[in-house]
Amino acid sequence: MKQAVRDQLGRIVGVALAATVAWAWFWRPPFSWTFGVLVVVGTAGAAIADGRYALRRIASVIPVLVGVSFVVFALMASLPGDPAINILGPAATADQIAIVRTELGLDEPFFNRYGNWLGGVLTGDLGSSIVLREDIADGISRSMTPTLQIMAYSVVLALAFAIPLGIWAGYRQGSKTDATINNAMLGFLATPNFVLAVMLVLFLSIGGLSVAGNEIGFRVLPAARYVPLGEDVVLHFKHMLLPSLALAMGQAAVFMRLLRSDMIATLRLPFIDLARSKGLPTRRILWRHALRPSSFTLLTVVGLTVGLLIGGALIVEFIFTIPGVGAYIFLGVTQRDFIAVQGGVLVISTLYIVVLTMSDFLYLALDPRLRGREIGARG
Amino acid sequence: MGRRLGFFFWLAVAYLAVLAVAAVFADVLPIKDPADTFAGTSKQGPSLSHWFGNDGVGRDVFSRVIYGAQVSLVISTVGTVLALVIGGLLGMVSGYYSGRVDRWLTATLNASLVIPPLILFLALVLFLDSEAKRRIFILVFTFVLLSIAPIARVVRAATLSCANQDYVLAARTLGARDGRVLFREVLPNVAPSLVSYSLIIMAGLIVVEGAVAFLGLSVPPPTPTWGDMINKGRTNLDVAAHISLMPAIVMFVTVLALNFVGDRLQQYFEPREAVL
Repeated sequence: MKQAVRDQLGRIVGVALAATVAWAWFWRPPFSWTFGVLVVVGTAGAAIADGRYALRRIASVIPVLVGVSFVVFALMASLPGDPAINILGPAATADQIAIVRTELGLDEPFFNRYGNWLGGVLTGDLGSSIVLREDIADGISRSMTPTLQIMAYSVVLALAFAIPLGIWAGYRQGSKTDATINNAMLGFLATPNFVLAVMLVLFLSIGGLSVAGNEIGFRVLPAARYVPLGEDVVLHFKHMLLPSLALAMGQAAVFMRLLRSDMIATLRLPFIDLARSKGLPTRRILWRHALRPSSFTLLTVVGLTVGLLIGGALIVEFIFTIPGVGAYIFLGVTQRDFIAVQGGVLVISTLYIVVLTMSDFLYLALDPRLRGREIGARG
Repeated sequence: MGRRLGFFFWLAVAYLAVLAVAAVFADVLPIKDPADTFAGTSKQGPSLSHWFGNDGVGRDVFSRVIYGAQVSLVISTVGTVLALVIGGLLGMVSGYYSGRVDRWLTATLNASLVIPPLILFLALVLFLDSEAKRRIFILVFTFVLLSIAPIARVVRAATLSCANQDYVLAARTLGARDGRVLFREVLPNVAPSLVSYSLIIMAGLIVVEGAVAFLGLSVPPPTPTWGDMINKGRTNLDVAAHISLMPAIVMFVTVLALNFVGDRLQQYFEPREAVL
């Protein structure tokens, strides 16, 4: 029984992940639930594949998480000026200040304050924003949805571009097609996402350049605003297409180049010759036989680029006026709302660490060649 | 492909050289004052007297792009050089002394990668910034912080592969101290991949600076920056697209040229390992 599970692990984990996404899509549970389920599935998969590795990996993630929370807290604590005075204003009396300081726990020693704060964070209490007058955990989880949507759509778009192009370029290595695809992708790699975003708006939504009275461009897509998925599905995707594209193309270039080089390596292996001599059609060999063993580096890198995507999402949210986490943090910075920024940075870094770990776990669950072997420091 | 750099390599190098020279000598060259508003030229397209046209208040876009290059190039160059020195040293030490030193350094460097770049920068702007003038230092500081880990990784890998070679063993057998082995034997062999990688890092820093300037958090106006020009031009995108388009094109070509030169050098030095 156990062996059977292990043999089919990749398929089981894949189905479980797909089921989770479908569940989240139709039932719309709170974001943290979905995320929690994904983490459980990934961890379980890794634990079945190689329990000791999974344990060791989790043990190595915990100090990093603690370290990040400590740095974030220390940054806050090192701020010049007394938060009590910030709250009360400069006219406050010494008595009032003392009361507020006790209320906030500011007169306790540093590590006690860190402990109190961390305790709060673990139970979902990130403090409340003085500027926005709301609970920060609420604000962040509300703005998480658009950000995750943009990130998810752009990864899907990037893969949709990268996989066929990468397979084809790898198959026709050294040909003109290969060179063309490579150069085009190098071009996208060199286009900063905000430049691409402005160009997309220019050419696809406001009519482009007018040369001698002729428009070179289109007015087919909206340039700004966010429409929630629940409100209008078609409008939602229409509004999300440009921001997602702006983020996707740079990723697509990275993904494509990776897949291409792994594809080239895979196509030299003997089992491809075998498939060929059996007379299988080229398309089947490429998609069914060569793609899977070539796509594992890609998977890790997809996990790694989440960090870049968050930064990119910030810019794209700024350009397309989408109320996401990036916009939330940016607003916090411009309004000097320290607690909001602290919460945002903490949540995003934590998410990023967890996603990285999960992509390693998935890697392990999906690639049978790695089980029982070290995969620590790859990529 | 062979061991030739090719025409486009030299074209890219020439472009970068011209841009750098123009930026460095902008004050001496016969270009217009980037702060001057030319009467009646607001939002005018490219012409013979104003090559890249004029912006919303009539300033010359061409000279603003040249002066904007100063900020981009200074910040990215200083950031890359500092990161190269620190990251290179850490990487060599980490790769050369395997064992506990290596494990601690690698773990710390990996941990430093967990905060997404832009977010880190925003936090630092908020927490360290009392006046906008100091922002250039915060920018350089963040950029160094961001680039140390990737550079150290590349150098560590390169060091690992050459630390077990016979010539290193020979140097050690002859009684060379660790410092000498590192700088006289390891460094020359690591340097090529380091140089080509640092160009790619530099391109990345130009992009991050652009993004930061786009958000209005880089060097404050009136100093022109590419990102800020692209952002400000967006209000006139429908009537005078060149205000955004020109700095965007220059930025794109610069980043492309840096990436291309870095890529080509990497293929030139290590024809086999040029993957990404």
